[in-house]
Amino acid sequence: MKLLSFTGEQFEFELNHEEHALLFHVLQQYPLVPATHYRLSQTAEIPHAKENQRLLEESLQTHRAAHQQLVQVFLRDAGRFVAVAAGQRVMFTRTEIEWLLQVVNDVRVGSWLALGSPDAAAENRRPTKKTAPHLMNMEVAGFFEMNFINALTGDE
Amino acid sequence: MNLADTGQTYYYIHVSATTEVLPEIEQEYLADSSTALESGYLVICWDDPVNLMQYVTHVFQTVFGWNRQKAERHMLEVHQQGKSVLAREGLEKAEFFVHQLQKYNLHATLERDAK
Repeated sequence: MKLLSFTGEQFEFELNHEEHALLFHVLQQYPLVPATHYRLSQTAEIPHAKENQRLLEESLQTHRAAHQQLVQVFLRDAGRFVAVAAGQRVMFTRTEIEWLLQVVNDVRVGSWLALGSPDAAAENRRPTKKTAPHLMNMEVAGFFEMNFINALTGDE
Repeated sequence: MNLADTGQTYYYIHVSATTEVLPEIEQEYLADSSTALESGYLVICWDDPVNLMQYVTHVFQTVFGWNRQKAERHMLEVHQQGKSVLAREGLEKAEFFVHQLQKYNLHATLERDAK
């Protein structure tokens, strides 16, 4: 995945055929982190903790539903990618990269949760038939995350 | 950070009428007197082995409007010390920040400031 050009708001990338397929593979899995996963507070020493926790989950659910809709539109938009010899070229706005970043990170975190939230050392253990798809998701999602972040920050 | 400028859905929450003790406040928040008067809750980000360091830095910059240097300092604090206090705020604003951080799948919570 190469950043070909950017104008501040528009970013043009070139993806090879495998990267193109993997991006779609990752996006199709969104969302993986359940809205009920996060707690507002660890101590519950906040007023109306139960009600505020419910509002948090509602907020996260709404957020995920909006992103899910964006992902569905993206996946159906056949004209967005332009075929070139080496693969596919695509243009993203800064706003699109921001939500794509959140979406691929959700797949990374959700896959990690599916593995049982292992520490970094455990994550590097030899993959099994059961863990391999989740480990692959994490790697692939991380790959796209780094490319999107580097594009936004101007880093190599 | 002006909540009205975020373009995000904002959920009002229940706030009790209890008196809150004014805590010590970081320099950047002292500039905002309306925030300082309400402060009583800590926005904390906890370490996890899954979110990439560059991603965490980017989220801090986006959510709090910090420059990269400050965002990296807090990211490294999370990574090396297990957590970082990102803000001291009133309940509503602290909850708003936690919502934003969790939308990015960071492990963030709000806790009552013990000071």
